[in-house]
Amino acid sequence: MEQRTDVWQGTLALMVLKTLNALGPLHGYGIARRIEQTSENLLSINHGTLYPVLLKLEQEGSIDSEWGVSDNNRKAKFYRITKAGKKELTAAEREWQRANDIMARFSALQGESS
Amino acid sequence: MKGLRRGWKRLLGSLIREESELSLELQSHIEMQIEDNIRAGMPPEKARREAKLKFGGLESAKESYRDQRGLLWLETTFADFRYAARSLRKSPGFTTVAVLTLALGIGANIAIFSLVNQVLLHPPGISHPERIVVLRTKYDKLNLDIEVAAPPALAAVRNQKELFDYAAASEEPSFIYADQQTPERLPGAAVSAQWFDVFGAQPQLGRVFTPEEDQPNANRVVVLAHSAWLRLFGGDPNVIGRSIELNQKAYQIIGVMGRDFRWPRAVDLWVPLALPPTAFTPQNWFNEHLSVAARMRQGVPPAQADAFLKTLMTRVLDAAPPQAKRYIGDAGWSLSTTPFRDSSAGVTKTPMLILLGAVGTVLLIACSNIAGLMLARTSVRARELAVRASLGATRVRLIRGVAAESLLLSLAGGAVGVAIAHAAARLLLQLAPESSAAGLEPRSDAYVLGFAVAASLISGIFFGLVPAWQVSKLNPHAGLRGGGRTLAGGARQRLRSALVVVEAALALVLLMAAGLFLRSLARLQEINPGFEPRGVMTASFLLPTQSYSDGERQTVFIRNVLDRLAGAKGVTAATIGRPIPFSGELEAGAFFIQGRTIPQGEAIPQSEHRWASPDYLKTFGIPLKEGRFFNDLDRAGTEQVAVIDEKLARRYWPKEDPLGKRIQPASGGDPLKIVGIVGHVTQSDLASDADSGVLYRSIFQDPMGGGSIVVKTTGDAASMVGAIRDAVRETDASLPLFNVKSMDAMIGNSLAPRRFLLRVLGFFAGVALFLAALGLYGVISYSVAQRTREIGIRVALGAERRSVLRLVVGEGLRLAVFGVAIGVAAVALAGRFLESQLFGVDAFDPLTILMTSATLLAAGLLASYLPARRAVRVDPAVTLRSD
Repeated sequence: MEQRTDVWQGTLALMVLKTLNALGPLHGYGIARRIEQTSENLLSINHGTLYPVLLKLEQEGSIDSEWGVSDNNRKAKFYRITKAGKKELTAAEREWQRANDIMARFSALQGESS
Repeated sequence: MKGLRRGWKRLLGSLIREESELSLELQSHIEMQIEDNIRAGMPPEKARREAKLKFGGLESAKESYRDQRGLLWLETTFADFRYAARSLRKSPGFTTVAVLTLALGIGANIAIFSLVNQVLLHPPGISHPERIVVLRTKYDKLNLDIEVAAPPALAAVRNQKELFDYAAASEEPSFIYADQQTPERLPGAAVSAQWFDVFGAQPQLGRVFTPEEDQPNANRVVVLAHSAWLRLFGGDPNVIGRSIELNQKAYQIIGVMGRDFRWPRAVDLWVPLALPPTAFTPQNWFNEHLSVAARMRQGVPPAQADAFLKTLMTRVLDAAPPQAKRYIGDAGWSLSTTPFRDSSAGVTKTPMLILLGAVGTVLLIACSNIAGLMLARTSVRARELAVRASLGATRVRLIRGVAAESLLLSLAGGAVGVAIAHAAARLLLQLAPESSAAGLEPRSDAYVLGFAVAASLISGIFFGLVPAWQVSKLNPHAGLRGGGRTLAGGARQRLRSALVVVEAALALVLLMAAGLFLRSLARLQEINPGFEPRGVMTASFLLPTQSYSDGERQTVFIRNVLDRLAGAKGVTAATIGRPIPFSGELEAGAFFIQGRTIPQGEAIPQSEHRWASPDYLKTFGIPLKEGRFFNDLDRAGTEQVAVIDEKLARRYWPKEDPLGKRIQPASGGDPLKIVGIVGHVTQSDLASDADSGVLYRSIFQDPMGGGSIVVKTTGDAASMVGAIRDAVRETDASLPLFNVKSMDAMIGNSLAPRRFLLRVLGFFAGVALFLAALGLYGVISYSVAQRTREIGIRVALGAERRSVLRLVVGEGLRLAVFGVAIGVAAVALAGRFLESQLFGVDAFDPLTILMTSATLLAAGLLASYLPARRAVRVDPAVTLRSD
């Protein structure tokens, strides 16, 4: 069985935003599935931990929610990224990119001992 | 911004909680997962299990969702308060007693503070009172220190624009207002143009004086006080432009002042002072008769005003003619300023602070009592607290519970206190003597409200700290084991005892203060004022310059009134004089003694001046010591004579006979020949008779536009009012009489502020004593209840009832004695503050200490005897069997 990574706080919010941005309105279950699929099942999340994150994003105004009906006729709450959320996402992505670049440079360093 | 928004949403989340939506959402999530699992080929049972596994703990997800939704601390605080409110509701007896005690304590504090606030801190209607200063003149060698200044001083300050924004002067003449059926005297003020600017006072209607109107011979205009406008004109908004008659002259109303501003205190109207240009000439520098107030420029420290006056003084002295320079310099002349609020509060300042201290002490005692009650309550609830602790409530959470209870109690007490404060302030002002209460009303502003909140919170913290500390020491195991009866019993009881000792000490301090004031008042009432006030009636009059333009007409009026009174029934003697004793008026001046030069460095002789008609001595019962008093021949055109009192004689003629000597008043006029010496009379204040002696002049030789009619009768003084009114009406019907008062009442009034202070202080001391006794009673009762078994055993083993009684009462008395010791020590340290208000008694008066200590111990004895009696009634068979 391949190693699966726990999601650490903070990054989950970014993943949620990214997912909603790419795929449009989704319910909580849909978001959870999408995140798992996108990470090609390398990520394992307890779906229950998703909801506090959704609430936090909604309180910040990054996402909106609305009750609707799912594909198989089930009542579900659908989440949608807002304009503020998109702005937030761009900023966060830039941050991540920069952090990645830095880490990449360090990874490229040739240790003297090695 | 984001954080703010989230905080706001979470605050809302704490208030509005929607639980069902969350359940529905999570439920549908799991259902979708199950469906997907089934679709993926799992059997339904497995699909369900897997879905739940995938989701994680449902309840823990909900819990962290809730944490995210609201503000946790806010919600637990709500919970604490809800719990506290519930537990207070469950013990209505305790809650009612605590809230009422607090309400009385806080209410009394607010009431007194609202008065202190408007007198000492924020006088109503005056903007930035801290920038206003009042000029004062001192003659050190003459023992003169008065808040007046001369016109040139006003001009100098008014022109010093770098230091002062505005400066203005006032005098307080009386006005006879004759536009109604009976003429009435109105207290008024003549003020210079910038008066209202100095105080930042705005008219409600119309305008105030222009500089042009503040000139001699300008149009006569008047500004009405708000209250006078309501009383005389019914608040008619069309009053502006109307003309009224004052002192037989027409004045045009140009403005009505705002409701709050009434300075000088209690005046009904203001007219321009209209000083002539000659008033500002240098030779007028030492003619001090104006009250001068100035507004300092923003940011200029008051010390700069005094520095300016100092250089001004040197300049004035240098420029003065040599003779004047010497007299003024030798008299120790100086100019300085006093902060307006100190000046306006005057003699009421210290009594007010004493009252504030007294109510603060009462509140402190009340809080100690409530702290004691809460301690007792905590120990009763030890079991409940122990259960909560063992169920996982943290110590902090338990302390928060106690804090929430204290806070609820104090806020409830404060709220009720605010409600009763207004009535309490009104009652106080009704009881207060007219002289102290003039111009004050129950009034609350933002400061009073702030004080109320602060007093409540501080009280809550004060009486909440002790039980909170107690809870922090809580040992849950002991609490559960001990059947819930004790909570660190010994320490708790020691704490309560300490509180009671403090209460007793504070109560003793108040009792002693009241005792000292009582003794002072008794001493003052024993003082002989130098005359016989019984059966003496007085009434004042004012002669308008229009119809009484010269001394001859004034003399005719005085003679006619006296002639009519001489024939009136019941009149033993009648006189007209000015100023008469205890009227609050004072006239003083300097004089030269003929044939004597003033040695270098010594001050010019000084005396009080009084004017009197021949029967003055007979009317007042003042003894003639030597020579003669005035008679009908001492009138205009005869030799100018004077009579002095024994004090002045002793001071300036210690080794020779003053009779026949001549003196020259510094104010001018003919020299006066001294023809008699009379007994000394207290002029205005029994407590301080500081004047240097009195010079009497014949009112017929130097008449003036006003005075007091004084009539002596063998019967009741009040029966003479009719005779005085008749005599005046028959002489001139247009003249109103004012200050119609018996001499006894006038002396009484001079003591009224002390009597009032004593009454209020006595009341608070009584309350303090009661509360302290109640606290002691509580402690001893509790102790008896705890020791029921022990007492039962003692009695069963043959202890006499008396020895049990002694045991219990002794415990109470020991606390009271500790309280007395600390209280006496406190008075020894703090008594100095009271000293200025005492008369003829030391702040550390042994008799007072003895009496008040005895009172406190007696109260302590009673408070511990009652529970002790209960203790000895215990039937040992019953107590030993229980438990």
